[in-house]
Amino acid sequence: MPVSAAGPAPLRVVIAEDAVLLREGLSRLLADAGMDVAGTAGDAGRLLQLVAALRPAVVLADIRMPPTQTTEGLKAARQIRQLWPGTAVVVLSQHVETEVLFDLLADDPRGIGYVLKERVADIEQFTSAIRRVASGESVIDPEVVSRLVARQRQDSPLRTLTGREHDVLALMAEGRSNQAIARQLWMSPKTVETHVGSIFSKLSLAPAAEDHRRVLAVLTFLRH
Amino acid sequence: MSPRLRAALIAGAIAATAFTVLAPYYGGWPGPPAPPIFVITQTVVLLAYLLVGLAAWQFRPAERIGLLFTVTGYAWMLGWLTDLHAALPFTIGYICNTLYQPFLAHLALAWPYGRLRSRFDRALVAANYAWNIGSNIVVTLFWNPRFTGCGSGCPANLLMLPGSTQLNGAGNLIVTVVSTCLTVTIVARIARHWMSARGYARRALTWMIWFSLPVAVYLELLEIVSDYDTGLSGVVVYGVCPLILAAGPIAYGVRMLLTRNAAGALGAALVNLEPGPDPDLLRDALAKALSDPSLRLAFRAADGDGYLDTHGLPAGPPPAGRMHTPLGPAGDAILIHDAELRHEPELVRAAAAAARLALEHARLQAEVRDQLEQVRASRARIVEAGDTARRRIERDLHDGAQQRLVTLSLALAMARRQAEGVSPALQELLESASKEAGEAIAELRELARGIHPAVLTESGLAGAIQSLAERSPVPVVIGAVPAGRFPAPVEATAYFVMSEALANVAKHAPRATARVTISQRTEQLVVEVSDDGPGGARPEAGSGLRGLADRVASVGGTLRVEDAADRGTRIEAAIPCR
Repeated sequence: MPVSAAGPAPLRVVIAEDAVLLREGLSRLLADAGMDVAGTAGDAGRLLQLVAALRPAVVLADIRMPPTQTTEGLKAARQIRQLWPGTAVVVLSQHVETEVLFDLLADDPRGIGYVLKERVADIEQFTSAIRRVASGESVIDPEVVSRLVARQRQDSPLRTLTGREHDVLALMAEGRSNQAIARQLWMSPKTVETHVGSIFSKLSLAPAAEDHRRVLAVLTFLRH
Repeated sequence: MSPRLRAALIAGAIAATAFTVLAPYYGGWPGPPAPPIFVITQTVVLLAYLLVGLAAWQFRPAERIGLLFTVTGYAWMLGWLTDLHAALPFTIGYICNTLYQPFLAHLALAWPYGRLRSRFDRALVAANYAWNIGSNIVVTLFWNPRFTGCGSGCPANLLMLPGSTQLNGAGNLIVTVVSTCLTVTIVARIARHWMSARGYARRALTWMIWFSLPVAVYLELLEIVSDYDTGLSGVVVYGVCPLILAAGPIAYGVRMLLTRNAAGALGAALVNLEPGPDPDLLRDALAKALSDPSLRLAFRAADGDGYLDTHGLPAGPPPAGRMHTPLGPAGDAILIHDAELRHEPELVRAAAAAARLALEHARLQAEVRDQLEQVRASRARIVEAGDTARRRIERDLHDGAQQRLVTLSLALAMARRQAEGVSPALQELLESASKEAGEAIAELRELARGIHPAVLTESGLAGAIQSLAERSPVPVVIGAVPAGRFPAPVEATAYFVMSEALANVAKHAPRATARVTISQRTEQLVVEVSDDGPGGARPEAGSGLRGLADRVASVGGTLRVEDAADRGTRIEAAIPCR
């Protein structure tokens, strides 16, 4: 394992995925990326057992799992968040639907990721998403975000945002830092900060800790 | 009635009428004829009996009443033979002067079908005839026409005993006593018939009795008023009162016509039993129409053996006094009614035909309803089977092909990483393969979603409505949506409605805002999609709304499209959910 002796302890991960080949592939991918794949499960029940026993930092779970092949992974994710609140969870979705997302984000959006399954092919982005979620950010698949951005709205506080502010907020929703946003949108970090402040005031978010306000802004964005 | 008999009867009637009209004027009697009222009355009574007798004979050939009327008419005419100034007709006329009276008694006893009911009745009628003729002969023996005051100009009484005087008081007393005994017996027999009669016969007897009362009064008057009174009382008793005798046959004729009309009216009344008769109601209507409260309506038992009536009681062979009339040739139903009604075959036939029509109508209605129900059920099954198949295909795509493609694209990504720095060409190739796989996954995802939205299965209508709103090119305001889940066909239909309606809004009113509300009413899910566009939706125009209506109907729901020129379009689907 290419783990640096000087670095921090590798990220402890548990994977739940019913397709065997994909499960093996994921576990190799994460191991290659320097994470500690502590265990793998083929269904939600086994996943809960593993989390209880291994207390991983991150859980990577497919939403669709046996026996009903509907939202088993999601239910397990919510249970994990209730039983072990510090555990970060990344759910893998096969389709772009926002309903389950709001369910998941409802209590505490920090440390939650919602990623389309096909995203695993983009190894860098995928592993970075897991790491960001592990560090407390919320990561939402760009495809889902762009769907939410494209959505036609009426009577939404978001209508007061300028186009640029909209773009910034969308990237915030994907879990990017101000630096990353500045890079992506070709603007100075200072400008990004200005936009972020403007977004907070337009959405009437009372002054509070920066990361808390970010989360609230993102939630507003997602819900309206 | 054969044509010859009919011709003969008509000829007889004409001849008798001609005789009655002409005899008083051309009979050969000296002096002025009787006042015209006498002739008119005689003729009216004669015609009443002959014509009604003819009609009854024609329309009710099975009954002898027509024959009796006819013969009574001729008996009436015989009395007027005295109008001929010749010894033989004069004598016969005198003997037959009151011959119509035993015929009237015969009619009354044989009422209403023209048949005597018992041997006693037959004996009574025979005795009455014998007594009438016998007593008249005896009276004639002692009757000298000169007593009437016509002097030597009188025709001779061929039977008169020489040197006889009029019957003395003892003889008159005997005549009166015997006549009274016979009359009382006849009246008693009629009363007895009336009491034992039911249904039609009872009613016929009742009105016959009413008509008999004035006749009886008239006959009594004849006893009191002297035969040869030429004053006002004579004119009234002989010239006017006999008209009472015509009332009976005329009433019978009127009733016969009314019965024929009643048969038609009965049919109309029964056919109007909507929506198809309750067998009990039908029975009641028939019982009323046929005046037989004990009438039963019975249907062939399900096992094809015997009949069951409307109370489910078996109906065996008809007991005495009852009879069966099958409704139609198939004999699936029968009427069990008073045997007396066989004398009213037309009425029974009409009632049976009307009842058969009503039953057939009900049967056809039930059949159509049944078939419609079957078609509805099969349509619902077909739609549901289609939904189920789509759901299964969607699942297979997600859990099969899509999973494999994801695994494949992961493998490609890892292979590309291994090829890094080893073979740039291979790395490039793998990269493009990876990209292809990614696009295939995205396409497959949209394809699966088009076949059946997984979100509907997973999150129900609440999730699906959100998903539809996000994808809609027009802004969508989501109103109230019940959180609970509904049966799959209900959810699928509601989804279909929202999806199609929003697509319509996007197509026809791209600048409008749509509003979607789902509300749960009693056993109904109501989906409402409205917009503030220019309106103009017409269900018959586009296949979109038509298909929507069909789809909603497949689960027994209804679709309403409200379209106001400047207030946009509103589509409301009410879907039953049990």
